[in-house]
Amino acid sequence: MKVLVAVKRVVDYNVKVRAKADGSDVDLNNVKMSINPFCEIAVEEAVRLKEAGVATEVIAVSIGDKACQEQIRTALALGADRGIQVETEGAVEPLVVAKLLKGVVEKEEPQLVILGKQSIDGDNNQTGQMLGALAGMPQGTFASVVKVDGDRVQVTREVDGGLQTVSLTLPAIVTTDLRLNEPRYASLPNIMKAKKKQLDVYTPADLGVEVTKHLTLVKVEPPAERQAGIKVESVDELVDKLKNEAKVI
Amino acid sequence: MTALAEEQLSALAAIVGADRVLDGPAGAEQYGRDWTRAHVPAPCAVVLPGSIAEVQSVVRYARRAGLAIVPSGGRTGLSAGAVAARGELVLVLDRLNGIDDFSPVDRTVRCGAGVVTAELQAYAEAKGLFYPVDFASAGSSQVGGNVATNAGGIKVIRHGMTRDWVVGVKLVTGTGELLDLNRGLIKNNAGYDLRHLVIGSEGTLGVIVEVTVSLADPPGDLAVMVLGVPDLGAIMDVLHCARGRLELHAFEFFSEEALARVVEHQELQRPFDTAAPFYALLEFAQPDEAALEAAMAVFEETVEQGWVLDGCVSQSVAQAQSLWRLREDISETISRWTPYKNDISTRVSDVPGFLAEVDAVVSEHYPDFQIIWFGHIGDGNVHLNVLKPDELPMDEFQARCGEVSRWVFEIVQRHGGSVSAEHGVGLLKKEYLSYSRSETEIELMRGIKRVFDPDGIMNPGKIFDL
Ligand SMILES: Cc1cc2nc3c(=O)[nH]c(=O)nc-3n(C[C@H](O)[C@H](O)[C@H](O)COP(=O)(O)OP(=O)(O)OC[C@H]3O[C@@H](n4cnc5c(N)ncnc54)[C@H](O)[C@@H]3O)c2cc1C
Ligand SMILES: Cc1cc2nc3c(=O)[nH]c(=O)nc-3n(C[C@H](O)[C@H](O)[C@H](O)COP(=O)(O)OP(=O)(O)OC[C@H]3O[C@@H](n4cnc5c(N)ncnc54)[C@H](O)[C@@H]3O)c2cc1C
Repeated sequence: MKVLVAVKRVVDYNVKVRAKADGSDVDLNNVKMSINPFCEIAVEEAVRLKEAGVATEVIAVSIGDKACQEQIRTALALGADRGIQVETEGAVEPLVVAKLLKGVVEKEEPQLVILGKQSIDGDNNQTGQMLGALAGMPQGTFASVVKVDGDRVQVTREVDGGLQTVSLTLPAIVTTDLRLNEPRYASLPNIMKAKKKQLDVYTPADLGVEVTKHLTLVKVEPPAERQAGIKVESVDELVDKLKNEAKVI
Repeated sequence: MTALAEEQLSALAAIVGADRVLDGPAGAEQYGRDWTRAHVPAPCAVVLPGSIAEVQSVVRYARRAGLAIVPSGGRTGLSAGAVAARGELVLVLDRLNGIDDFSPVDRTVRCGAGVVTAELQAYAEAKGLFYPVDFASAGSSQVGGNVATNAGGIKVIRHGMTRDWVVGVKLVTGTGELLDLNRGLIKNNAGYDLRHLVIGSEGTLGVIVEVTVSLADPPGDLAVMVLGVPDLGAIMDVLHCARGRLELHAFEFFSEEALARVVEHQELQRPFDTAAPFYALLEFAQPDEAALEAAMAVFEETVEQGWVLDGCVSQSVAQAQSLWRLREDISETISRWTPYKNDISTRVSDVPGFLAEVDAVVSEHYPDFQIIWFGHIGDGNVHLNVLKPDELPMDEFQARCGEVSRWVFEIVQRHGGSVSAEHGVGLLKKEYLSYSRSETEIELMRGIKRVFDPDGIMNPGKIFDL
């Protein structure tokens, strides 16, 4: 069984991002970039399926400029077998990403496509679902357990107030939630091996997709600064403030 | 608590204000000791002056009244330096907590002695700069305390100790005089540099009231690599190989015994499956692909030489932090075995021989003692930990560890090492000072103390007896 995993290059989760002075976007100058944490979980899940003898090949695909090859190499170091980059410039909207992924799906015909439920930069939570619609594949989103069983995959989903388990016919789409697994560290020997793994580069035209823009970013602004806390001298003062200033009691 | 006479209390209250003089057990408990627990706090009182002038007045008063003073910072010290167990007056620096006079051209900033280390770090960050002295207690320790102990930490291999960042110190001596030492100058060869005597003096020369520190460029992107090595000698080879090729910010080590316990108790992931007797943790600057290439080259070469068995490298800041936890969580993890601890140093190249000798002597006498090694090996600084066997009573364990200390310090002495790498001497290591300092040196230190503090009121009984 072939598994396709989508990986995105995003600003590192631990970086304190700043808005550009003119508010036009987030300032990504000299900022540490990493693999999107949910994509990392997707790679780990695919590699585990391979280690369990379920998957035969894991392909990591990323859409972006040349720099995203770094994240493909990370996926290869974690255990993916080969990589695909679809070369694009600038920010690409979820719909375009979904169309490009559909192009790759048609080329590779994977039985399972695993994506992160969202990327931590745009927080869109759309790509997996759009790909499902475009490719006509069933989807199991927010997965915390994935079990492949014959020609079906069982996905336990993290939904409001509990867990829901769905059973999908393959080929299918899974998007990962945080608790699906804990990704491994990239071992240095595997990073070295990853350099020799195949990495193909396609253009959107190769996949028959036109990159279009539907959204305009109007403004980016930082959240309001939090007010410093205060210390009160007595319980009475606290009660008084809660009653008369905060008006919560 | 040894009580002060009413008029003594009111004399102190006249200086600092009545509510800034604490003479009850709560104040003693809170301010009368540091992180160590071997001594019961018994100060005569606690004072919290709010200005340099008030500190001077308190010191002058104490001198007249024949009271000894214990300067008290963040009380995170690990050598019983900020301990008042003999009726001393505790002088708390908490209220001298202003940060001001930032100079972007000089890249310096002035701190009250009571500024918390983490606040200084945050201040520097807000200015686009970096205060590089960092350790686990930075959220509580104070800049004055850091200077008084010449604190080190995890970035020493890259940035040095506190000493390297202090460009000015104001000190109130044992006579109440205010010295303004070095005043932020980079070059100042006009006579002895008294500032460097004050740094690391553990409160025995006077009260540090203000510190001017210089700030560094922010470190940029750092990556963490963990390597499994077959023996300690190999760690030295790895260090030698990595230096010059990587901009190292930290070079730490820990043993498999340490790793196994951290992984189990903190529910962390092992760095890789291969088990090795020791691990090296390297933090290095990774501004670009070339730096990662250099790290890979170091890995390849050290594997080829048989110095490294396996390794991994962080792919994100989150992974770098998780890998650091393998090292930083050791202390907390092993605290459940109430370990005997010792912070010692030798020359970097001497560490493997030193460790082997300590291992040999401890396991010969006490084969059931489990030794856990970790530390800043790139600085020659190792932390020896001996876990208490469950069935051994505490007092028996402590008695045996007393013996262990003597053997360890004898080995330190043979290697020309230091009985205290970064935590100072305080009360904890006073009786062992002569294992690293000659009688002549200690006599000179006494002489220096007499010059700064003729009546011996500043933290008496710490480091050495007069
Ligand atoms: C979890 C933990 C981790 C630690 N890690 C490290 C580490 O990695 N590296 C390291 O070097 N240390 C470490 N320490 C030890 C300790 O944090 C440092 O020694 C620190 O510099 C002490 O600062 P403090 O303000 O808490 O000083 P205190 O404990 O209050 O005092 C220490 C000594 O300095 C004197 N003193 C304090 N303030 C003044 C002043 N204003 N004027 C004159 N004398 C003064 C005191 O009398 C005492 O002798 C650690 C401690 C803990 C608890
Ligand atoms: C052309 C020229 C350029 C210079 N440029 C610089 C410069 O750029 N920067 C700079 O800092 N200096 C400079 N100097 C000054 C001088 O070279 C330095 O101060 C140098 O370090 C002095 O070394 P010396 O061996 O000549 O010492 P000496 O002149 O012999 O002695 C200097 C002092 O040190 C003492 N001393 C010497 N040896 C010992 C010892 N072994 N133990 C104890 N005390 C000792 C002496 O008693 C004396 O007090 C310059 C001098 C000249 C002539």
